[in-house]
Amino acid sequence: MVMIRAILRPERVQDVIEGLLDAGYPALTRINVAGRGQQRGIKVGEVMYDELPKEMLLVVVPESEKEIVLRVMLKLGKTPPSGVYGDGKIFITPVEETYTISSGFKEE
Amino acid sequence: MKEILAVIRINKMNETKKALSDAGFSGFTAAGKVLGRGKGLVDYQLIKGAQDGYQEAISQLGHGPRLIPKRILTLVVRDEKKELAVQTIMKTNKTGNPGDGKIFILPVAESIRVRTEEKGDTTLD
Repeated sequence: MVMIRAILRPERVQDVIEGLLDAGYPALTRINVAGRGQQRGIKVGEVMYDELPKEMLLVVVPESEKEIVLRVMLKLGKTPPSGVYGDGKIFITPVEETYTISSGFKEE
Repeated sequence: MKEILAVIRINKMNETKKALSDAGFSGFTAAGKVLGRGKGLVDYQLIKGAQDGYQEAISQLGHGPRLIPKRILTLVVRDEKKELAVQTIMKTNKTGNPGDGKIFILPVAESIRVRTEEKGDTTLD
């Protein structure tokens, strides 16, 4: 199993969530986060904003289905038509075990 | 070292905190309210119908199951205490109904205590 952590624009998140559902991946967690990227935030006039609001999605899937989820996120997470700075990042980390609390069911 | 990331019901947070500290896990990090959904609320027949191209099924998509508020907590433990932590969280949060949450276990490469700059397992207790 792998955990996909995607940091996305708040205005694109709803599209990504619906796209994931359509692709057959209903399970996810959404977290409000703030951060900055390689452009060091955004400068509006004199003011520098270095903590921009983003949304983080956590999706845990079997390694073999990673590419499908990534394709949905990369396609729908972009600002149309071809993406701009600030669209976010996707990180992938290994998950060793997964437990479902209600049934105690364990997956590796 | 293992990172244990648990998504649990909001109203179980206090019980879980107490159970964890009774079991000897004093430190952990919790995020405020997070939103999520699991596999339970989804009508797979509907998705399959939409994939096969039935219009009635496609028109019902899109609304989707709503996202449900949950709490998320992470704790980093030594390898040998992983099982105890999982059992503690599982025991306090189990109601047997769908929606109790999930526990994920991730490997951690290194941990460093900021105050003393020491590294490794000693930072965890």
